Amino acid sequence: MRTTDLAELHGELRAVAADVLARGRVVDWSRLAGAGWAGLEVADGLGGAGATFAETALICEELGRAAAATHYLGSAVLAVGVLNTLQDSAVRNDLLSGIAAGWVRVAAVLDPGFTVSADRRLAGHAAFVPDADGADRLLVLATDHTGAEVAVATDGLTVTPQPVLDETRAVATVAADGIEVPEPLRFAEDRGAHRVRDRAALAVACDSLGLAEAMLAATVSYAQTREQFGRPIGSFQAVKHACADMQVKASVARALVREAVAALVHDDAEADAAVAMAKSYTCGAAVEVAGKAMQLHGGIGYTWESGIHVYLKRAVFNRSLFGSPAAHRQRLAQRY
Amino acid sequence: MTRSADFRAHVRQWCADNIPADWRRTQTGIGERDFVDFQRSWFATLHGAGFAVPHWPHAWGGGMSVADQAVLYQELAAHDAPRLVLAFVGIHHAAATLLAAGTEEQRRRHLPAILDGEIWCQGFSEPEAGSDLASLRTSARRLGDDYVVNGQKLWASGASYAQWCLLLARTDPDAPKRKGISYFLLDMASPGVQVRPIRNAVGDQHFCEIFLDDVVIPAANLIGEENAGWQVAQATLGAERGMTMLELAERLGCAGFRWLVQAAPTDDPVAADRLAQLEIEITGLRAMCRQLVRDVEAGTAGPADASIVKLFYSELLQRLTDFGAEIAGLDAHTALAKPPSSGWESGSWVLDFIGSWEWTIPGGSSEIQRTIIGERGLGLPREPSAP
Repeated sequence: MRTTDLAELHGELRAVAADVLARGRVVDWSRLAGAGWAGLEVADGLGGAGATFAETALICEELGRAAAATHYLGSAVLAVGVLNTLQDSAVRNDLLSGIAAGWVRVAAVLDPGFTVSADRRLAGHAAFVPDADGADRLLVLATDHTGAEVAVATDGLTVTPQPVLDETRAVATVAADGIEVPEPLRFAEDRGAHRVRDRAALAVACDSLGLAEAMLAATVSYAQTREQFGRPIGSFQAVKHACADMQVKASVARALVREAVAALVHDDAEADAAVAMAKSYTCGAAVEVAGKAMQLHGGIGYTWESGIHVYLKRAVFNRSLFGSPAAHRQRLAQRY
Repeated sequence: MTRSADFRAHVRQWCADNIPADWRRTQTGIGERDFVDFQRSWFATLHGAGFAVPHWPHAWGGGMSVADQAVLYQELAAHDAPRLVLAFVGIHHAAATLLAAGTEEQRRRHLPAILDGEIWCQGFSEPEAGSDLASLRTSARRLGDDYVVNGQKLWASGASYAQWCLLLARTDPDAPKRKGISYFLLDMASPGVQVRPIRNAVGDQHFCEIFLDDVVIPAANLIGEENAGWQVAQATLGAERGMTMLELAERLGCAGFRWLVQAAPTDDPVAADRLAQLEIEITGLRAMCRQLVRDVEAGTAGPADASIVKLFYSELLQRLTDFGAEIAGLDAHTALAKPPSSGWESGSWVLDFIGSWEWTIPGGSSEIQRTIIGERGLGLPREPSAP
């Protein structure tokens, strides 16, 4: 596809997303599927749109911008991501076409804490699994008896919701104590599981990017209209320069996310590092930007009603989800 | 091999063949004369290869594609080539001004001369006109076919070596302050021009005061319309920002970060974490610069994009050199000189750190950049002017 066509497609996708999300923060699974987002990366032949992570990244940004409560992260980004990385099989293809049609909701468990024995017994425990509660099926990454990472599709696990301060996210603990599971699914390539974890980290970075830009826009708009000392507070350097710093952080984050998305889509050798950089910087910057947004909104910003706390909590949650900034920097530092 | 990979290979080979191997050592602690000679000879070498003014239009000796220019600057940075210090104002600001607002005759007089090594400086700031540049007081009074100029300029980098100066002076003292300024080309050999170097914080004498006492400038050396100098300056000041920032970002990413890793105790988790943070910021800067170059070329750059890059670069350079000075410890204080043709991060960390204020103050201080980002970029209201 030519660059200009792609830019147009992305523009449309963004406009539709903004439209869907304008109708309310909670977007249920059937509406997500109806908008075509669940099957965005599912192959054409399986009823999907055959798009790439570049388009998924854009939806993640818009969901962050709206601080939307959806199952998109766990059941589209991660589930489809895992399935697309597996070897071709009937189980895999049925799940993919079911997701694209909105008939089935799958959640992916990426924690390295599960094992599956030679006689197909799954054991392990994971916490903070996005969108696991209420999913029709779980797709669990597990180490098999040969030491290889495989994926197990099952519905027999114990799922317990974990209430968290960020009410826009649904996470749960997932446990298995030796339950019998179907034949494990194999990755098409050695680094499949690794790539899925990169994609999880980057999806969260995209969410934080949209969130940070939303907080900057809200703050600028407030500073243009709110008056104190007889003039808009945005005319004071203390406020103006703080907004400029928010803008710089958002610009750097956007540049890093753009590079990382391109690297992941093209499966570059440097994709690992690019993702670690984007996740570390963007999720850190989003907390600073949302925090500054609360500060510059003054007393109003601290109220429940203003809703800024929703963004700040989501930013702080994103920062910890799929690797803290320090953990990602540690990955980078191993290259020195 | 793709055409772009071809060009990269060509530049790499050229760098290997032409960058003086030990220039850092031989250029450290040298006198002014040797520095000027080295700069002139490096400029001539670059020009011989077609690498000195790739950003100029083809008709004047440039015409390299933007993609190739990016490759060129990446490779020069990666090979730690000397930086063009003295030619900078000539090939960027003077050329951009002449191309945008000069007459054909002015272009013919000066553009080829710049390629022959003519050195330029910029006479904009004054003692009472720093961040508030538009309040400048140097006056230019029309007298027949000439203007007679009186006043004082400050922070004119390289003025003691310059043959020509881009000069802003007030031609209408009664007009609102931005409407009464004109833009001139000043021959530095004119009677009444006196240059006095100012020693800066690292001990260099690169920037200067210029005293103008009844200096006569022929009216033919006026650029653009009389009293339209502010608009000309605004239009051409940022002309070079994209590509020169890309080069500086590449230098920071290549040589700068490499030396830092060499100097740092990477088995110390605290040092490793700070290195990683700097690498992330440098990577973000490089990506922003590449995007800025693309956007400038496509005409889609935002009104404050160049300010965002300048602000982030300046403060990142300061953080990086600060960290360098911290980890290099007391030993770094024995590096009393650095090669004046080097980048802003030479590996003499304490000098580099002190010198980083030469980025956060000139060319619109970081405070001014934040105001530009807030007002032009985000649309925040201007501060009420003083009565």
